Amino acid sequence: MNKYKVASDPRMIYVLLALVVTVPILTHSVLPVPISDTTRAVFDYIDKLPANSLVVLSFDYSTSVVPELHPQAIVVTQHVFLRPLKVLFVAQYTDGPALADAVLDAINKGNKTYGVDYATLGYIPNSATVIGMTTNLQQYFPVDTRGTSTNDLPIIREFPAEKMTSLLVSFSAGDPGLLTYLQYWETPYGIPTAAGSPATLAPGYEPFYNSHQIVGILISMRAAAEYELLLTAEYHTPIGLSGATSAMVAQSSSQMLIVAMVIVGNVAYFVGTRRTKGAPK
Amino acid sequence: MATTKRKMTREELILQVIIFSLGFFFAFVYYVRVSEPIDLQAVSQQLFAYLTAMLTAAFAIGMINLTRVHWINIKRKRATWKFSVILIASLYGMAIVSLISSPFALDPQAAVIPQGVINLFNPIFDFLYYKVLVTINSSIFSLLAFFIASAAYRAFKARSLESTILLLAGLLVVIGQAPVADVAWPGFATIRDWILAYPNTAGQRGILIGAALGILAFSVRRMIRYPWGR
Repeated sequence: MNKYKVASDPRMIYVLLALVVTVPILTHSVLPVPISDTTRAVFDYIDKLPANSLVVLSFDYSTSVVPELHPQAIVVTQHVFLRPLKVLFVAQYTDGPALADAVLDAINKGNKTYGVDYATLGYIPNSATVIGMTTNLQQYFPVDTRGTSTNDLPIIREFPAEKMTSLLVSFSAGDPGLLTYLQYWETPYGIPTAAGSPATLAPGYEPFYNSHQIVGILISMRAAAEYELLLTAEYHTPIGLSGATSAMVAQSSSQMLIVAMVIVGNVAYFVGTRRTKGAPK
Repeated sequence: MATTKRKMTREELILQVIIFSLGFFFAFVYYVRVSEPIDLQAVSQQLFAYLTAMLTAAFAIGMINLTRVHWINIKRKRATWKFSVILIASLYGMAIVSLISSPFALDPQAAVIPQGVINLFNPIFDFLYYKVLVTINSSIFSLLAFFIASAAYRAFKARSLESTILLLAGLLVVIGQAPVADVAWPGFATIRDWILAYPNTAGQRGILIGAALGILAFSVRRMIRYPWGR
């Protein structure tokens, strides 16, 4: 095997990538993370919500997207719990309710009481339920995930379906997710909506941000790190709540490795093409 | 080639009328609010409740079918029967644990199932879900990074003008998304934001509008005539 074939061996690239990801994580390297406009927009919107507003957090992702979306869900939920707001947890993915419970276990809930300040309603099986929730919440969610009748929950009595949600945040890994809410909540009722998105889906949500249909987008794990830094600056929460800040060096180095691979690949391609052209026929 | 249209049977005609009526009804109540003499919105809500029940039944049918297929695999000792055993054990094992102790629990207030049993299943669910399922799924998803790194080297080449533009745009977005590049020169973030806000938005809007018109045309076609018998 010549030296070019060794260099292009995928195993070499895998080893390099493993190194650039694991070394920063093991050495606990940290990096300043500039705040994106899309992240600040979500933070500012939640920060300026009037007291006792209702926020709906929708866990529209499965366990495979946990590395990207779960840190976002943790920091946003912590922010909402630090403010005098009411929160309902729902999910359009079957994994969502368990992931919402994991988020509730990870954050500091302060003096918020279940049923009064927040409640977990569980799984939304289809778009029919998303539509129905806006007119009769109790019909579609007769009980919460703890088996309590929603009629007995003070938060539901305080916010019947006719009283609109002040903000919906969909941590969306695809369909069903943000687009379902845009179609059935934001467009007909004007419910303010924000998105948490993996990096691959964010370009698809960008048109809705530019047309002000969504107040902001949290893009991948980086947005969680940015949000965590904003929370720390504003509310003095400890760094490391979501684990995103400590992963930023690993993420940066892996992205830089991919950029380097593209450049090296193209240089090799052009050198190879020139040699082929210059070779005697 | 000319296609001959088959005449619909009586049953197909009845189904076609139902499809058209429901399609038209739901499109109508989405745009027009009618509360007198009949509250059409309430009627549509009720129909949505039936739809939820139907979809849940479809889910149950899926589970029965999956069990049937894999049970036959095991019974006949087909080549992959060992995987079928794992599938059935995982499917029913997780289902039983989830139905006793999870956000989907049948009796979370311990009205029928003793609290001791629920407490026993709590750590089992936590282990199976958070330690096994989340870890396995996250690991598989993270493997994508290795394939992307390898593909970046081998496939992402500037072979033509179009691919060069795509390559440069992609590289600039990736660089702008990396915090380290943002710290080195804030201009990377500005370039990333510009690419996402203008060329990307223009392209995405075109795709979205095109897809929406396609879905609309497809739905109207299905409402008027479903391709029965194909």
